[in-house]
Amino acid sequence: MTLANVRNFCIIAHIDHGKSTLADRLIQRCGGVADREFRDQILDSMDLERERGITIKSNTVTLLYDANNGERYQLNLIDTPGHVDFSHEVRRSLMSCEGALILVDASQGVEAQTVANLYIAMEYELELLPVINKIDLPAADPERAREEIDADLGLDPFEAVLVSAKLGQGIDELLEAIVEKLPPPTGDATKSLQALIFDAQYDAYRGVVVVCKVEEGTLKPGQNIRLMHTDKEYEVEEVGLLQLKRVKKPELPAGAVGYVIANIKTIRDIAIGDTITDVANPAPEPLPGYKEAKPVVFSSIYPMSTDEYEDLTKALDKLTLNDPALTYEKDSSAALGFGFRCGFLGLLHLDVVQERLQREYGLSLLLSAPSVRYRITLENGDVQMIDNPSDYPDPMSIATSEEPYIKASIMMPERYVGVIMELCRDRRGENSTFTYLSVGRVELTSELPLAEVLFDFYDRLKTVTQGYGSFDYEMLDYRETRIVKVDILVNAERVDALSQLVHEDKSRARALHYCERLANTIPKQQFKIAIQGAIGAKIIARTTINAYRKDVTAKCYGGDITRKRKLIEKQKEGKKRMKMVGSVEIPQSAFVAVLKTDES
Amino acid sequence: MSPSNRPGLYVHVPFCSAICPYCDFAVITGDADRRSRYVEHLLRELEISSGLSDFDTLYFGGGTPSQLSHDDLRAVGERARLASDCRVFLEANPEDVTHVSASRWREAGVSTLSLGVQSFDDDALSFLGRRHDAADANRAIETAREAGFETLSLDLIFGLPGQTLAQWRRILDAALAHEPEHLSCYQLTIHDDTLFGRRKREGKLLEMGDERQTDLFLETHRYLCDAGYDGYEVSNFSRGAEHRSRHNEKYWDHTPYLGVGPSAHSFDGRVRSWNERSLFAWQKWIDSGALPVSGKESLDNDQLLLETIVLRLRTRDGLDFDAIIERFNVDLLASNRGLVDRLCDEGLVELDGHCLRPTLEGLAVADSLASSLQLPDKPCQPNLQ
Ligand SMILES: Nc1nc2c(ncn2[C@@H]2O[C@H](COP(=O)(O)OP(=O)(O)O)[C@@H](O)[C@H]2O)c(=O)[nH]1
Ligand code: SF4
Repeated sequence: MTLANVRNFCIIAHIDHGKSTLADRLIQRCGGVADREFRDQILDSMDLERERGITIKSNTVTLLYDANNGERYQLNLIDTPGHVDFSHEVRRSLMSCEGALILVDASQGVEAQTVANLYIAMEYELELLPVINKIDLPAADPERAREEIDADLGLDPFEAVLVSAKLGQGIDELLEAIVEKLPPPTGDATKSLQALIFDAQYDAYRGVVVVCKVEEGTLKPGQNIRLMHTDKEYEVEEVGLLQLKRVKKPELPAGAVGYVIANIKTIRDIAIGDTITDVANPAPEPLPGYKEAKPVVFSSIYPMSTDEYEDLTKALDKLTLNDPALTYEKDSSAALGFGFRCGFLGLLHLDVVQERLQREYGLSLLLSAPSVRYRITLENGDVQMIDNPSDYPDPMSIATSEEPYIKASIMMPERYVGVIMELCRDRRGENSTFTYLSVGRVELTSELPLAEVLFDFYDRLKTVTQGYGSFDYEMLDYRETRIVKVDILVNAERVDALSQLVHEDKSRARALHYCERLANTIPKQQFKIAIQGAIGAKIIARTTINAYRKDVTAKCYGGDITRKRKLIEKQKEGKKRMKMVGSVEIPQSAFVAVLKTDES
Repeated sequence: MSPSNRPGLYVHVPFCSAICPYCDFAVITGDADRRSRYVEHLLRELEISSGLSDFDTLYFGGGTPSQLSHDDLRAVGERARLASDCRVFLEANPEDVTHVSASRWREAGVSTLSLGVQSFDDDALSFLGRRHDAADANRAIETAREAGFETLSLDLIFGLPGQTLAQWRRILDAALAHEPEHLSCYQLTIHDDTLFGRRKREGKLLEMGDERQTDLFLETHRYLCDAGYDGYEVSNFSRGAEHRSRHNEKYWDHTPYLGVGPSAHSFDGRVRSWNERSLFAWQKWIDSGALPVSGKESLDNDQLLLETIVLRLRTRDGLDFDAIIERFNVDLLASNRGLVDRLCDEGLVELDGHCLRPTLEGLAVADSLASSLQLPDKPCQPNLQ
């Protein structure tokens, strides 16, 4: 197949506008697949992703389409993860496409998320093809959708293809439009090999299955390849296309999107965004845009009950097979027992890992407050990277502290610039500037401490822009800062799992917030309980839980004793699930409430 | 602890002339016919329940035992295998107390009369759905006094919605005016399956808040203590140890007891069993010659120990660690040293030699004191006795 007959594209849509349904329909039309049997395997495979409306792992499928002009086309539908934590992977996926379908629900019109994603697609200079879906609905208003495509997306409304993904209406027209309007990839199969790795899966029998787009040259079995960034060499065993199942091919020429199996043992051996080249005839340089997927957010994960520690260990082992960005090492807390200090790409990555551990592995977990990694220079010149409050050195020994900054890029309609500037200022943003992307569309960049983004930033952003803001960031550098370690004390005993590293200016507010949450969730006990926030010996926040004064029942005669004993047995049982801090029983719900990250 | 370890006998009399809206006892209204059938069955039950004998207390509770005739009472006393020095307790409602009935109860051997006066405030009494007013209560008490019971006990209820400390003190004063030897003061408890429970769910009855309940509870003990009463249990007060309820103390120190009548509980030192709650089911079993038991449990040592802790901490005599070592072969004090010190510091308990005594403030939180004591990890070894 010649390059001219290849199309690489993705679908950009607001959740529920029918992306999965449309993908199914395209697959069905091209592959003769009956009903939705592939739904579970293809695009959006994890139900977790479905519920959250995001795609975590990209999945790719190659469709063969016989067009009206009598030619056979190879259509590579590349699914894209939809959230900023995975921006790395989104970018990689988008880089593999030449075009994108912008899907709009005819009954809903253009939604904020579509606009936000569109900005990113535009950055990659993708050819955009608007598609209006759900035209079968009585409430469908394709004309209004067209207007919005013009006004909000700035696309040609008359290019829009009208479809009903559900009924299969307009699918042929759409396929024709894909072939006609989207450009074929460029590249030269005879040049030295450059293939971009944009996805990978672990297969228990074959090892790592790398998904890539060949930009230049040709990839074929027997070839010795080198991964240019990780600098590892392998011999290609098999290449092919992902037509729902893996279909072996003699080679993958420039422009092709497919898989490579090369006896790679673990996902950790490869890096998304890396470039594959030929050892015998290497490319002079890798493809641009590679960045190492480094964990930047850290949190300790503890099992709710200590006997689940083994299960947690196993689950993390398994999870990292397909999620190399997740790192973990042993950690322990006096209050919560043994656990793991884990590193994540961002808060959403953390959320997703937590949910997968809970849902797929049936674990109940407690997570400590997420932290960034600080660079601490001691008076004696030693430099330490600290993300765990328990490793925080004696403040007297510290010469300087630095914290990671990001360059945040926020794209939004012009009318939100004011509130976003305000938000960035509140989060200690520096050098905020904005530029007009086009009429009414603005990109604001700001240099923000990553730590400020960990607490509720994304949600705030979505709220104040009513969903129209898109947020993306890249790591910038470390800058000098004033951090302190805030401890939470319950009756003068430190609750180690609640300690955190915070910017000095925000320490009091954070400490008070924790104290209040604890006071609201720890039940009254026989003793008065003092809850304090402290920096070293200095108390910066304080609340009190008064002792309860009476719980005894009035009567306890012959007929009451059994009931009474059972009640006390139950209470004692309940206490086993409480964590003792000194003499105070803290229910798990208190930890859960305190460690929720919904507010700062 | 109790001066005797001879068993007690409890007789449940399930009849009341009307059902009070807060009552969750096994009670029923009954005519003379029902009552005589009930008494027949009671006597049969006494016959077939073997095991315990030599009862040194006989307690007629209910319900309203004063609805039984003195002949019935006497018949029960005769059928039971009572000790010669057995004390007989009778609960009575004020409206049933007359010169005639009181002197007949005396003749039938009743030594302690426990009067369900509940209040001396007419509004409170009508709120509680009682069939007497304050004047009836006063008259009943005087009548009982004249009959010359050794111990006269008055039952009172506090913590009615909106009740103030002053109102409650006035009620206590009215009771103290009669110089009763014994008082039981119960905080109003609203049980789900009662009329009050329903009103509460419907939002028509507002239960008193915790803080005010606590104030009333503490005040009750302080006030009665000042008046010379010993609050020897959460809800019980006596003038001198000889007027304590010898029968009820058996419940609190695991002395065996036999309970007869619907819903009555029995305990033999290890096994606790309970009778059918419904009068008719109870009668049916007895008709068929079987014990009318609807459930039982055999307590292991951990359970016995836990009950001991729970029950003793409700009493001012408290928990005797030496007695625990002797009975269960575990050193509870050793395994709770830190906690006990802490509770002492907080003024909730006092450690008096080998006895852990709740203070008044401790008594108010007796249930959680009990659940905070750590049971030793190793299973208790029974000390064969
Ligand atoms: N009536 C109608 N419903 C559709 C159409 N396409 C998708 N849907 C429905 O819209 C909902 C969301 O579709 P889905 O493909 O899961 O959306 P996604 O979240 O974008 O992947 C589902 O209930 C679909 O059945 C369509 O063309 N017409
Ligand atoms: S008189 Fe006593 S037993 Fe009878 S219904 Fe009233 S509270 Fe219950």
